[in-house]
Amino acid sequence: MIPAIGLLLGILAGLLIDVEIPLSLQPYLPIAVVAALDAVFGGLRALLDGIFDDKVFVVSFVANVLIAAFIVFLGDQLGVGAQLSTAVIVVLGIRLFTNVAAIRRHIFNA
Amino acid sequence: MSLLNDLFDRPLDEGYALAAARRERSGGDDRTSPSWLLLIGLLGVALVFTVAATQARRTAGVLSAERESLMSRITERDARTEELESQIAAMQDELSAIESAQLARTAEGATLQEELEDMQAAAGAGAVAGPGIVVTVEDAPSEAPTTEDGAVDYGRVLDVDLQRVVNGLWAAGAEAVAVNGQRVTGLTAIRSANDVVLVNYRPLRPPYEVVALGDPRTLPSRFVDGPGGSWLQAISGAHDIPFDIRSEEELTVPASGGSTLRHAVPEGSS
Repeated sequence: MIPAIGLLLGILAGLLIDVEIPLSLQPYLPIAVVAALDAVFGGLRALLDGIFDDKVFVVSFVANVLIAAFIVFLGDQLGVGAQLSTAVIVVLGIRLFTNVAAIRRHIFNA
Repeated sequence: MSLLNDLFDRPLDEGYALAAARRERSGGDDRTSPSWLLLIGLLGVALVFTVAATQARRTAGVLSAERESLMSRITERDARTEELESQIAAMQDELSAIESAQLARTAEGATLQEELEDMQAAAGAGAVAGPGIVVTVEDAPSEAPTTEDGAVDYGRVLDVDLQRVVNGLWAAGAEAVAVNGQRVTGLTAIRSANDVVLVNYRPLRPPYEVVALGDPRTLPSRFVDGPGGSWLQAISGAHDIPFDIRSEEELTVPASGGSTLRHAVPEGSS
């Protein structure tokens, strides 16, 4: 129940606030999305493994988004922003795929 | 490689295992059932997704709107150019009517008038009518022979082909030539930009209709036997470019769009 309310509130807030993301922050949005996806699938896997912990979930989500954004920001300052975003996407992508594979094994036993 | 192996082996955040172990040690399930933390976390996740989605939608909207406005501006300007060109043509007609009315008053003027008309016809400043031939050239029906990377498409009518046709017509004794309604004068360039052939810097579309006025008895045969005709034969044989030559009794060639008078000025005086 609580998770559903959280999701609903988040979607509503996103739709209602309707903020114009400033141009300088737009490169971080896809990175934040991938980091959030990683946290979500990691949490889902932990849930299926029976070791889910909400504190770990929230902290890992926030930390992932912040660190990913920071790495890309640093890359932008050093002139290798595109390469570092690729690096972040690759690392998080690998984790995503392996976690989804584990979830798949849990659900379908395959 | 150890970094990648690590990544593959332990994709799950280690925090989960540590927290589970801690719970194990402290004994009992200390998970507080309605977790406000979880609510905040999921709220954040949903917020990120929603903001990203709305942002993506908005960006796409802006891009397509920009394109639309650019396209409408292009068509608008094209229409304006055509309007101005027809205005120029009307004014030139008016001007030449006034000119001939003035010249027709005296006998001297009448001879001048004839001279002027001949010169204008040669320079392309006035529209001319009479018998002549129409040469129609078109791109090959199938985009036939292309190179591997598709860079060169020989099935197209190129600027060179039109140049050769027009030059062949001049050589065959044509007195006035126009390509798709664009008068070819001494100042006309036939060239291509990207894949579009420009005549008088106006883009043309195939089929290209080259109208040439001249002696109806000699012009067709001299053209077909001359360099222009043999070039057309060659490209139609090699690249399947269809062409057609027909004689007509009554053809008109329009005046060239605008002939600016260029003259030299001695240095120092302005």
